Amino acid sequence: MPHIDNDLKLDFKDVLLRPKRSTLKSRSEVDLTRSFSFRNSKQMYTGIPIIAANMDTVGTFEMAKVLCKFSLFTAVHKHYSLEQWKEFATQNPDCLEHLAASSGTGSSDFEQLEQILEAIPQVNYICLDVANGYSEHFVEFVKDVRKRFPQHTIMAGNVVTGEMVEELILSGADVIKVGIGPGKLVHSHAPSVASTCGAPFKSFLVTFLLGSVCTTRKKTGVGYPQLSAVMECADAAHGLKGHIISDGGCSCPGDVAKAFGAGADFVMLGGMLAGHTESGGEFIERDGNKYKLFYGMSSEMAMKKYAGGVAEYRASEGKTVEVPFKGDVEHTIRDILGGIRSTCTYVGAAKLRELSRRTTFIRVTQQVNPIFSAES
Amino acid sequence: MDTVGTFEMAVVMSQHCLFTAIHKHYTLDDWKLFATKHPECLQHVAVSSGSGQNDLEKMSSILEAVPQVKFICLDVANGYSEHFVEFVKLVRARFPEHTIMAGNVVTGEMVEELILSGADIIKVGIGPGSVCTTRTKTGVGYPQLSAVIECADSAHGLKGHIISDGGCTCPGDVAKAFGAGADFVMLGGMFSGHTECAGEVIERNGQKLKLFYGMSSDTAMKKHVGGVAEYRASEGKTVEVPYKGDVENTILDILGGLRSTCTYVGAARLKELSRRATFIRVTQQHNTLFS
Repeated sequence: MPHIDNDLKLDFKDVLLRPKRSTLKSRSEVDLTRSFSFRNSKQMYTGIPIIAANMDTVGTFEMAKVLCKFSLFTAVHKHYSLEQWKEFATQNPDCLEHLAASSGTGSSDFEQLEQILEAIPQVNYICLDVANGYSEHFVEFVKDVRKRFPQHTIMAGNVVTGEMVEELILSGADVIKVGIGPGKLVHSHAPSVASTCGAPFKSFLVTFLLGSVCTTRKKTGVGYPQLSAVMECADAAHGLKGHIISDGGCSCPGDVAKAFGAGADFVMLGGMLAGHTESGGEFIERDGNKYKLFYGMSSEMAMKKYAGGVAEYRASEGKTVEVPFKGDVEHTIRDILGGIRSTCTYVGAAKLRELSRRTTFIRVTQQVNPIFSAES
Repeated sequence: MDTVGTFEMAVVMSQHCLFTAIHKHYTLDDWKLFATKHPECLQHVAVSSGSGQNDLEKMSSILEAVPQVKFICLDVANGYSEHFVEFVKLVRARFPEHTIMAGNVVTGEMVEELILSGADIIKVGIGPGSVCTTRTKTGVGYPQLSAVIECADSAHGLKGHIISDGGCTCPGDVAKAFGAGADFVMLGGMFSGHTECAGEVIERNGQKLKLFYGMSSDTAMKKHVGGVAEYRASEGKTVEVPYKGDVENTILDILGGLRSTCTYVGAARLKELSRRATFIRVTQQHNTLFS
């Protein structure tokens, strides 16, 4: 029976954070480092909980090298070979604690993941990533991986509702990736996962189509406004001592701050980290302008590259775009971290941990003064 | 702002009884020279200062040298810090008879706190400015009309006053700010790009432009503090605005617009505007056919 959920659901663009009394004198006093103890793996994490997405244009070893210097995290994409992993591990042993190895639910993916984790025991994180985290098949897969790797921290997704967060945590995942379709380019679909297509969906989501370039929402009409998804999923996860990653939908440092404010333990970034020296993807020069190619992981581009083309029964659910070349990612990282520090001083949070407790969102109709926005 | 709050601007503004918050980067000698040349302007200007020790000392020396200046503008990005509240108290203790403008904040409880700490006029607005990127960089902010309505209510209850600072893009917005209860309206972007603004006129492809930037932009930070510190992000942008000629015309346009607003709602004085203001929520500001 079709049902319309009339509860208002919001995106990052619909809110601003209300400033609050603060005893901080400077942004430099803000501590962005967080420590977590994971529910199922019993492992500890310490670092700045921002993650480069496991897209082959963003989750690269080059990115990981820079991000680990800032104690940020990288979900390395699943298309590196075992040899490449070994080489990276030998050359950059210090980075390994800030990395996850990724896998879809396909058996070849999983075999490679096993080989990587066996060869490089310092990698303690696994990122299990499918477009539709609602499939029973995926839940079974998470259980299998938990059995096979009892002491690795498992990130799994993507989902957008509390009951599925709980299901995945109870099935052995530690950190749940939250977000369906908020990205500029949907990136969570592994080309090899044919099995999810026929699997029963636990819920269909009647959604507002937001006019973003995210094509899962356009192609399927499925999705959930990210701010509301994060708030609801964080609540569900924290109740079970689990954690969540807000994955996708951030277009500026302010959005990252809002995700943390909404209760995300980690924030995963794709588009914001694309287009840098350290990003994968072709470098293009045209009319004196420099671009880098950036594409969603179920775009035609990615599917051609890794699965030999788009299968007949499916549509491509990602876009390929040329993003202006932004130089070294280091500057972007400083800009993001500086922005979040500033947010923390505005709401009086001396530590990132306090940000969500100090957060009151105000609903707005306009984010910024649009007068000069063309030039920015 | 160092592009807009200039002495040249103040000369024209004071002819129309408008006020200028002079930016804090003029030296004591610049001030002395200005005071000698334009004594008639001094009652319509404020000296600005951040909450740093150097700023405070410079402001003190200016106020001593030019006693005709009666207004102080204390301006920090985040008026919510306890450190700023203490600073306002300190300035009040040192200058018991000067009128202190302080901000910026966006909520009633902080307006009250600053007034009770010694400020007279509270600057209201976080992130609405045209060259401000605080909202994209931090996600922090408050819709300006609501902020003005709520803060005016708090201030007036304590016989304090407020300035609506930022977010005005046209004379109609200025009228709305007054209608919402603002006692003063502060303008940056609308006064940018004029002859009286700092900076050279740039000519490119036959177009005349002037540089305008936020005071926490890369441009401003490089100019005044030698760059953006490692732990912070720039929170302003730099734009080239079309050169608009003398500010006199813009002033007349704004004042004419305000007068027209007042006649529409039946307010014989600006004072009556907020009492006669009823806002209608709309989905469209104007007919977009030719814009």
